[in-house]
Amino acid sequence: MRDTVIRIGPQIKRGSAELAILSVLAEGPLHGYQIAKSIERQTRGLLRFNLASLYPLLYRMEKRGWVKGTWEDPPGGRRRRYYRLAPAGKRRLVPLREEWAQFFQALNRLAGVTHA
Amino acid sequence: MPDWREIVRDRLTPLRVGEKRQEDIVAELAGHLDELYEDMVRQGRSEVEAVRFASSSVADWAELRREIQLAANEGVIMNHRVKALWLPGVWTSALSMLLLRLFQIPWAPAPYVFWLRNGMALVIYWRWLLCLPLIGALGAYLSRRAGGKLLDRVLAASLHILGLTCVLVLGFCIGLVLDFRVPLSLRLVGIAVYLLGWGITPCFLLLLGALPFLRGDAAESGQVAASQ
Repeated sequence: MRDTVIRIGPQIKRGSAELAILSVLAEGPLHGYQIAKSIERQTRGLLRFNLASLYPLLYRMEKRGWVKGTWEDPPGGRRRRYYRLAPAGKRRLVPLREEWAQFFQALNRLAGVTHA
Repeated sequence: MPDWREIVRDRLTPLRVGEKRQEDIVAELAGHLDELYEDMVRQGRSEVEAVRFASSSVADWAELRREIQLAANEGVIMNHRVKALWLPGVWTSALSMLLLRLFQIPWAPAPYVFWLRNGMALVIYWRWLLCLPLIGALGAYLSRRAGGKLLDRVLAASLHILGLTCVLVLGFCIGLVLDFRVPLSLRLVGIAVYLLGWGITPCFLLLLGALPFLRGDAAESGQVAASQ
């Protein structure tokens, strides 16, 4: 069987990645590795971030004021940079969720028509 | 266990984000690789496999460097360009055009008019020309104050005249295509004279005024802007 290649534009890719990161950070502060693992776990491995895809996006979101990173030194633990959802990120998350819900509804309708 | 910090520093730096930010990024990415490596070892992989797996999370370090720089400087690059080039350029252009209009009003002192061959004339607003070094100095000063590099300062000082020169050259080229009645030799003399009067001379005077502000802490101020 021929492999199906789904080509998703960079805007959609970035938008979905931003939604994933903001969503996991809405549950509480996490460091970069935890963010990647949390997304992987919650999507049952369908969405995976590696170092190269995660950090540029985190830095971009931090620059926009959506997340805030702070170094923390837990006693006896490793020094890590934890990210928290900033107020601007919380505000961004609401419309982003709505946009993606609408996007998937539209795709569902389209798929329904195609398969009818 | 490999020294991830050294590996990341070796492959990722130098980053144009400021020294402290660079160290933070190196430490953070090294920490991530370290966690990944330990996770793999905990899952029963050999150390060699774990190192290979962790290393494979970055396929292209040069691309990662570029992405991180773009992300870390998002907004700064545009703001910096606006502050160091476009704003000083627009200010000097507006001032220059205002002065030129002032010297064109009917009761202003008459400009020099040089009559050339075949009825061509070159109008020299010499008072405006005398103001240009000050305008050029203002543009270069504003650009330098905003952390502009040498090219930003030169462009900020001479932006409007460069624009005017482009328009003249473009007009000349369009004229060549659309109008065959005027002989080419006459056209060439015309464009040369106009370029001298409205392009080269004003540009020279603007840059003359800008000269004291073209030297100075270009690299340093650029670094400050990049690290903001």
